[in-house]
This record gives sequence, structure tokens and C-alpha cells, in this order.
Amino acid sequence: MSKIVVLGAGIAGHVAASHLRRKLSKEHEVVVVSPNGNYQWIPSNIWVGIGRMKPKDILFPLAPLYAKKHIDYKQAKAVSFHPEGDSEEIKPYIMAEYVAGNEKGTQEKVTYDYLINATGPKLNFEATEGLSPGKNKAHSVCTYTHAQEAWIALEGLIKQMKEGKKVKILIGTGHAKSTCQGAAFEYILNVEQELRRHKVRDMAEITWISNEYHLGDFGMDGMLMSYGSNIMKSNEMVEMIFEDRGIKWILEAGVNKVEDGVAHYETLDGEYKKESYDFAMLIPSFSGHGFKAYDKTGDDITDKLFRGFMIVDADYTPKPYEEWSVQDWPETYQNPSYSNIFAPGIAFAPPHSISKPRKSKNGTDITPAPPRTGMPSGITAKLVADNIIEMIKHSNQELHHKGSMGNMGAACIASAGFGMTTGSGVSITTYPIVPDYNKYPDTHGRKLGKTFGTIGLAGHWLKLALHYAFIYKAKMKPFWWLIPE
Amino acid sequence: MTRRISKYKRFTMMNPIIQFFKFIYLSIKVLIVVAGGHGGTRSA
Ligand SMILES: Cc1cc2nc3c(=O)[nH]c(=O)nc-3n(C[C@H](O)[C@H](O)[C@H](O)COP(=O)(O)OP(=O)(O)OC[C@H]3O[C@@H](n4cnc5c(N)ncnc54)[C@H](O)[C@@H]3O)c2cc1C
Repeated sequence: MSKIVVLGAGIAGHVAASHLRRKLSKEHEVVVVSPNGNYQWIPSNIWVGIGRMKPKDILFPLAPLYAKKHIDYKQAKAVSFHPEGDSEEIKPYIMAEYVAGNEKGTQEKVTYDYLINATGPKLNFEATEGLSPGKNKAHSVCTYTHAQEAWIALEGLIKQMKEGKKVKILIGTGHAKSTCQGAAFEYILNVEQELRRHKVRDMAEITWISNEYHLGDFGMDGMLMSYGSNIMKSNEMVEMIFEDRGIKWILEAGVNKVEDGVAHYETLDGEYKKESYDFAMLIPSFSGHGFKAYDKTGDDITDKLFRGFMIVDADYTPKPYEEWSVQDWPETYQNPSYSNIFAPGIAFAPPHSISKPRKSKNGTDITPAPPRTGMPSGITAKLVADNIIEMIKHSNQELHHKGSMGNMGAACIASAGFGMTTGSGVSITTYPIVPDYNKYPDTHGRKLGKTFGTIGLAGHWLKLALHYAFIYKAKMKPFWWLIPE
Repeated sequence: MTRRISKYKRFTMMNPIIQFFKFIYLSIKVLIVVAGGHGGTRSA
């Protein structure tokens, strides 16, 4: 009998737990430790942030589902890792602290045979002075509560615009090393469309602010893609959309401080500038959770497990951009020091960024961090689950299931406006996610037929269809496992 | 605002009938990228 502990019930953790439960007999224990009692379909937060969906439309409680599916659930957060046990506990364990119910505040040693760390990112608002959701007129859409608050503020602003007030809206990244530009891109287009729907578009100046070097970099070094019968760069596509929608842009900007209605930023030229606004949505930087790890004697071994995020089978040797290769990226998400620990989704430490790193004249790193979107998060979680299942069933230490982001495609359906007949979506697929410049030297590291973009109403329908399909899948309804990650 | 998308293009982008077929095409195309599988890069 084996016990698998999954930390986190986001896209990666929930995918791993559900596949493990489906494929392993009941004699094996699957335990999920996660502080948020709800599963949330994060991509639809964008629509909560424009008031077109309610938080209840994008979430459901985990406890009843897990009870029904024989998955043990602890509403708790991991606080420290003990991969060798300690003087009293011979099994490896994580220390968990309950965050709800009668046990709130109490700690428990949760032992395991296999550990999946799928704790995603810490939303590191503190890294930018004054950036905090709902403070200084700056908001976030990273969680459903943040998105709901953003909508309340935006709704208030729309009311003022209807009364004749001219406003400035600023949307983008809130730190020199933020990632998730795609989410901010969706939000700016959705906000723009909502203002048109409310007939107040002419009352707003809308500006994109980002740490990208080019528009459409998305933390992926941009893309060369097929667009209809043309071949287009992602920056040309985004520029076309922004110009068409009357959206201005500020690039190469590392936001470092937010005051009431003012964002301060540094540019690659080393200049310090500021931009005022009446409403902002700025994506914070993502970081690891700051977990500590200890060996069985109690000595600190954090650097064996973490470098911010969790260390996995990537090549972390520092090297210049010109020497980066897809081979640097992990394949199995297994920790090299402890073969029973894995980290899929956003929880693993990437070897480096995907976009070309750039420093300002003052030495500030202004480079988008590499995104790990929903599809790779799900795929990596499933392959980790499959490897653990093989290890259990066949006492097999060799890992057969591999999935490097340098040999994996992703579909990014970015909402560009909500509405069954008026909505729009920018559908982009890319293969591979991490460009392979050796394999595809003439097409910016990607395979053209599988890297394509298109804009239109169908994109909105697809995004909506994915919303319902993935919530159906997450609820583990009949044949859920037929829906791919 | 600078018009960057022609009237004709906008019509095709928003026409529900054209977009219905586009939806089918897109769903298949996305499925192909996903079902195309994934693997390692080191031993290949
Ligand atoms: C606004 C927004 C829109 C997005 N839109 C898209 C999109 O359209 N398409 C797409 O592919 N991707 C999108 N993404 C990215 C996608 O949401 C992420 O790739 C995905 O959520 C990553 O999954 P994860 O499981 O690694 O992390 P998360 O989903 O963040 O899950 C982490 C889990 O760990 C839990 N946790 C945190 N701390 C602890 C702890 N100490 N102990 C135990 N558990 C803990 C959390 O409660 C959570 O359950 C979007 C992201 C944002 C913010």
C-alpha cells in the first residue's frame, strides 16, 4: 500500500489527484492538502473581473467531491518539508497547518511515500511597493476574490464615466519580472469591450504597460505564426489589435512602486517614469512560497529542494542566453535529491526565462518570467501521476512518462470580449512552448503549422466551451478523463 | 483609434455562420496540437 500526498488543488494538483485516484486501487491512499476549500477555474476570472460571471460560476467546493471519490482532503497549508522524516518519525512527511474548521491553527505531520508539490505560485504583491489588490486603485484578477473586487471598482468607474468623467485605465504587469502577460492581455481587451457595451468607450484612455520588449512577447520570446495565409509575428498581431481598439502601450517597463493612482516604473533605457490612472489591473510577480526543508537531524536542506520554486530535473547551470537550449527544461519534474518528490505546474523552478533576458542601464532585470499556463500544468501533472503509478505498480524506478515544455504544444485561447454574438477571442496555439531554435531555425524556434493565430467570435465560443468542459472534468463527472488536459 | 481590421475582415470575424465552421475547425486544430503528444528532448 502506498500513500501519495498532493500539495495544492489547483489545475496541477487536482489533475494529479484525480488521475491517481482513478488509476490506483483503493488500498492506496491519495491525500490532498490545500488551503482553499474551493476548486477555481482561474482562466474565467477574467470574466468575473468584468462582471459577466460570478465567482460561483467558476468554482465548486472540494470537500464533498473528494469525500465521494475517496480522496482524503485536508484543508491545510504545507509549511515545511521533511523528506527524511525526523528523530521521531521514520517516514518522510510535510508539516501541514489547518486553515479552517475546529483544527484551525493546529499542525500535523502528513507522512507520504510519494509527494507531489503542486502549490503553484505565491502572488508576490510585496515585491512591488504599494501594490496590493484593491489598494491605490490598483487591482488583480489572479483569484476570484480579487477579480470580484476589480469588477466592483470598475463598475463604479463606469458609473462615473456615464456622468461625464474622463478616466485613465492602466492594465498590464506590476513588476519588472512578472509573468502571465496573457491574462492581462485578455483583461484589457475585455475591459475595452465592456466600455463599448456601456457606451462610455470615448470617456476612457486605455493603456497597456508591460515588462515585454515587444508586444506579444507573452514571456515566450514572442511567436512567428501562421495567420490565415500569411505568416505573422505575434507583436504585429497584438499591435494590430491594440491599434484597432485604440489601446496605447508602454513597453520595457518594470513597475517598481504604486501610489494612489500612480504607477512608477523604470525603463530599459534606465529612465524613471510614472503613469497616472483611475483604475489599474497589474499582475504581480510570482514567487515560490518560501518553504523550508529539513533533514532527519533537523539541519536546513532548503537548497536541496528549492531555488524559489522546487528544484526538478532541469539544467540550472547559469549560462548566457545564446547557450540556452530546450534540453535545459525538465522532462519528469522529479527532484534530483529525493526521487519520491515531484513538482508539476507552476511549482517547479524553471531553468531560466524563455524570453531573452534584458537589464536596464541601472542593472534592473526587466524580463518576463516564463509562463506555465493551464495546459502544460495539467499535462505535467498527469505525467507525474502516471510515473508514480508505474513506480507503485511495477516497483519501477525508471520514469517512462516525459513531457518537456520544449516538446509540448499549448493552446492559448485569449478572450477578447464576452458575448454570444458580440464576443471575440484571440486563439493561439504554439508548438513547442519553449522555442527550439536548432530544430526550427527559420521559424523562430517553432513549427509553423502548429503555431497559428486567429481572431474572431469562434474564439469566444471556444473559450466558453473550454470553461464548461474543464469544470465538468474537474468535477469528475462521467467520462471526465476523456477530456484531454 | 486606427482602423487596422478591414470591414470585410470584421464581417467574417463576427459572422455567426462563418464562425460556426471556424469553431469546428479551431476545435479540431487545438485537439491536434494537444493530441500531438509530448515527450522528452534529451534522448531524442
Ligand atoms: C487571471 C488568469 C487567467 C489565466 N488564464 C489562462 C488561460 O486562459 N489559459 C491557460 O492555459 N492558463 C491561464 N492562466 C494560467 C493558469 O491559471 C495557471 O497555469 C494554472 O493555474 C497553474 O496551475 P497550478 O496548479 O500550477 O497552480 P495554481 O492553479 O495556482 O494552484 C496552486 C494550488 O496550491 C494551493 N496552495 C498554495 N499554497 C499552498 C500551501 N502552502 N500548501 C498547500 N497548497 C497550497 C493553492 O490553494 C492552489 O490550490 C491564467 C492565470 C491567471 C492568473
